[in-house]
Parts: sequence; structure tokens; C-alpha cells
Amino acid sequence: MPRTISIHSFRGGTGKSNTSANLAVLLAREGMRVGVVDADIQSPGIHVIFSHKQVSGARTLNDFLWGRCNITDAAYDVSEKALAGAGNEKSKLFLIPSSIDSQDIARILHEGYDVTLLNEGFKQLIRDLQLDCLFIDTHPGVNEETLLSIAISDLLLLLLRPDNQDFQGTAVTVELARRLNVPMLALVNKIPPGMDRQRLKEHVEATYKVKVGAMLPLNAEIVQVASGDLFVNQYPEHPFTRELKLAAKRLMA
Amino acid sequence: MEKTDKPRGDYLDVLLNKMKSAAAPFRDVLRDLHTKYQTLNEGNVATYIPELAKANPDWFGLSVVTADGQVFDIGDAQQTFTIQSVSKPFVFGLALEEHGREKVLTKVGVEPTGEAFNSILLDEASNRPFNPMVNAGAIATADLINGKDFPERLERLLRMFGKYCGRDVFIDNGVFLSERATGHRNRAMGHLMLNFGMVSNRVEETLELYFQQCSILVNSHDLAVMGATLANGGINPITHERAIPSAFVKDLLASMLSCGMYDYAGEWAYRVGIPAKSGVAGGLVGVIPGQMGVGVFSPRLDAKGNTVRGIKVFQELSERFGLHVFESGFQGESLRQLLQPKRSDESHG
Repeated sequence: MPRTISIHSFRGGTGKSNTSANLAVLLAREGMRVGVVDADIQSPGIHVIFSHKQVSGARTLNDFLWGRCNITDAAYDVSEKALAGAGNEKSKLFLIPSSIDSQDIARILHEGYDVTLLNEGFKQLIRDLQLDCLFIDTHPGVNEETLLSIAISDLLLLLLRPDNQDFQGTAVTVELARRLNVPMLALVNKIPPGMDRQRLKEHVEATYKVKVGAMLPLNAEIVQVASGDLFVNQYPEHPFTRELKLAAKRLMA
Repeated sequence: MEKTDKPRGDYLDVLLNKMKSAAAPFRDVLRDLHTKYQTLNEGNVATYIPELAKANPDWFGLSVVTADGQVFDIGDAQQTFTIQSVSKPFVFGLALEEHGREKVLTKVGVEPTGEAFNSILLDEASNRPFNPMVNAGAIATADLINGKDFPERLERLLRMFGKYCGRDVFIDNGVFLSERATGHRNRAMGHLMLNFGMVSNRVEETLELYFQQCSILVNSHDLAVMGATLANGGINPITHERAIPSAFVKDLLASMLSCGMYDYAGEWAYRVGIPAKSGVAGGLVGVIPGQMGVGVFSPRLDAKGNTVRGIKVFQELSERFGLHVFESGFQGESLRQLLQPKRSDESHG
């Protein structure tokens, strides 16, 4: 299976972090060691879904990029809470958060950082934490860490909504990923009830020449969870969870 | 230099190439080489020009730029130093462009000397200096640079280097003054060649031009871009600007291969087989045609005036990846593969 997986959506609000986090949990449940990096340094957030509290002084991806620590010092084992008893003895889930401190975000924007270091960090994580799979949650749109994440990935998961702005923007990501020779898989999210799913799927596949890995429904329950918890744990039988499980199976195939 | 809008697609190429090179396993190869030779402390900083003696012997920059524009900068790749003799093949190229091959060859040969770079030696039959890579030949080559006066000639020279580097280049005035004040031997050679009619009677001006040429500030990144420009048929792979007509690229590379490493040139061609040129400040540029330019900066020199670490780096790259120009049927590791991001799985997509 692909070892490094980037998740990207051209525009915000597609449910990228939620989908990444829940997909990571589903893979960890199957007995995998999974890492989730919040490479959305400018607008971090995936730590919230894992109920990870950023306490003052605790290491983040930012500290690694500034040479203050090893990247593994910024990796937190969130298996217990995220798996909630599911999985087996091999299951592990690590979170590498980005700093939510406004000073840290401002510093990254102001100074930038060496993108090659990010690549080093990803490789170290896979090696030192013996990961079967590393998820990279990227910033929407196109910036350096996003492009680098795509460039080094074994697979790019494209997340999009059935919406014309998403459709146009995704074409940009697809072009970049093709130029970087990165295989892709599309996940369509927030599909409203009553929409012709089969037609939508065919349309996406024909437009981008990329296979669709999951057709995820728009749902009220996920809004209630409000990124405060892992959806697949709360709603194990929900159509969203079932569809995401199919995507996880596809990744492991 | 004139600033023009890049053709459509170039900005994207630059960005994608940056990402490709950040992700390419070749970066690890270069980093390992850099780490390995960082501790090699043989050789000494050049002292014959007082300004050069001020260099930190530990400086070590290693850069590679591919013919399609990927960039790898390791270590002190931004540390500037004076280009010195590395300038010679490029000025030879400008002379060829301005006068054509036949005219240039009446003023300077293409024969290796086996003598040191500063030897006062001219071909007995033709009175020509042996090749453009020894000082005498470089002075004769600099003499060929056109222009109505000194500022115009210098401007042409700097513009040419600017195209190779992809940026405006500047001269280190301290080194220039130091070169000029101590360049008695070069001055003597200039006048000897004037005596034989090998240089024009503006020899003093040409010597000034030559000292300026040697004092241009570059870093290992610049050298790699210059090398990549030659590897790419004369077109700078970053700016896509042509620096030399493609017809003359092989003239430069041939003289670099046969004469580029001072009196180590023969052994270099035998062992390493990469057209290259070294300078006494510690710079070394190498060209792997069609593939890449390599720039090394390390001021520790061996007895022949070549950078010790630079030679080691080139030897290792050449052997490991079969980069000798006469290599055929190489079975080892493929450089091309190392320039692609490594993927653990290719089944999707």
C-alpha cells in the first residue's frame, strides 16, 4: 500500500482534516502504525479532531522546522483515545501537530523555512516510528509545503465537493500532481441528498482522469460533532463511515 | 541585465523543479558526500594573492543544477568567492562567439601543456600560448573581447557571466586590487605576447580586464548553474536565456577536459573524465553534458592548485554514476532515477 499519502483540496471547507483523521483511524484499526502530520502550518487544526491539547512548550512541527528538536519529539501517541478500544495490539496512531500559537504562525509566514527539511522530517517519522502509513494533511490551495508534500507522496488524495469552484480548483492540483508524476485518487465529499451519485462519479473521473475512491454524503451528524471528535467512532454505522471504510480498503488493497 | 517576462510555463517549472529536487533521493547522495569530505583537511588556502589568504579553510559548498533546472545546494553554497581561473573557459567562449573559431585559434592553441598555470611558455613555432586555460592563454583570450573602450569591454564580459549565472555579477574590488598589485608575472606574460604580436597594443587594458575577470564573485550555486548552462547546450536552465551559441559549447568542454585542471589535467581526464575547470580560490565547475552542472567550493588546495575536496567529490560522483565521458555500457546506479522522488508504490492512479 502507499506509504506516504497527502490529502489536498484546492479550496477550504471540503472536510479535508476530518476525512484525513477518520481515514487514519480506520487504517490504524486494521493493525497499522499510522502517522498524521498537520502540514497545514498556516492554519493548523487536525489536532482538534484528535482532542489533542497543545500545551505551552510542547513540541510541534514548527519546532522541528526551526531546528529546535527532532521531529519525533513532536509526535504524540494518540492511539488510546482515537482508537477507543478498537484495533489490535499492533495498532498505533501518532499525531504531529503544527503550532496554533499566533506568534509561531506569524514567524513561519515571515521567515519561511527550508522545505527540504520537511522532506527529511517525513522520512525520519516513517523510519523512527516504523510507520506503515503517513498521512500529510496539507494547506488548501498551492504553496510550498503543499507542493513538496505532493511531490514526495506515493499517493495524493484529492478531496472535493460537487461544486464548480472546487471543480476548477481541483484541475490545478491535478495538473501539478501529474507534472510531479504522483498517482492520485479522488474523494468526493459533502454530496447532497438526491444528487445522482453515479453520474457525479463518472463526471469526476472523466474530468480529471482520476479514479474516485469514495463518495461521501453530506450529513448533519458530522456538523454536530463539529470537529470535536472522530466521526467513525461516534457513528460506526453511518453511510459516511461505511463509504470511508471502502476508501480505506481500497488504500490497503 | 534586461528583465523580461518569462515565457508562460516557466514560473511553474521553477516551482515544480524546486519541489522535485527537494524530494529527490539525489539530495541525500550529495549530503552524504558533503558530510564525508567536510572533515578532509588536506591542502592549504592559496596565499600568493594576499586577499585569498583570508578565506576560511573550512568553507565547503556543493551544488548541482540539472539541465532541466532542478537545484541542489548543500553546505556553504551561498558563500561567495572570486571565480579566478574558472572564468577562463567562459571568456574563451565569448571570444569564439565574437571572432569565430579560426581567428581565435591564431591567438591561442588548444594543446595541454603539462606545465603549471602560470608558466611563461609559448609555442615556439606559432608564438601562441598553448591553451586558454593557462594564464598566458587567458590573457590572449581576454584581449580578444570587443568594445570601444575598457568600460564597454568589461560590461560585455560581465553581461556574459550574468547570463550564465542568471543574475547580475559583481567584482570583489579588494581581490582585484590585490591581483593587480601583485600580478607581475601576468604583466610580464602580457608584454611578452605583445612582443610576439599575439596580443594587441592595448595590453595594459587587457591585463586590467583579466584581473577584473578573475575577481568576479560567485558561489558554488552559480558555478553549478554555469555548468548546467553548458550541459544544456548553452541555455541557462533556470532563466532559459542563451549564454553562448550551442555550436561553441563543445569547444569549451573539450578544452576544459584536456586543460581545465592545471597540470593535473591528464590524470583528471583519465580518472574522472568530466570537463571541468578549477580556480585558486577553491572553486571547481564540472559539466556532465545533457545532464547537469556541478559546482564545488572549498578553498583547501593541493600542490597543483586544485581544490582537494572538490576533486574527491567529482571522483566519487564519476565512479558511482558512470559519468566519465567515455563511459559506455555502465551497469551501476542510475542518476536519472535518483532525480525522481522515490515512491514505495506505483499501483495507484
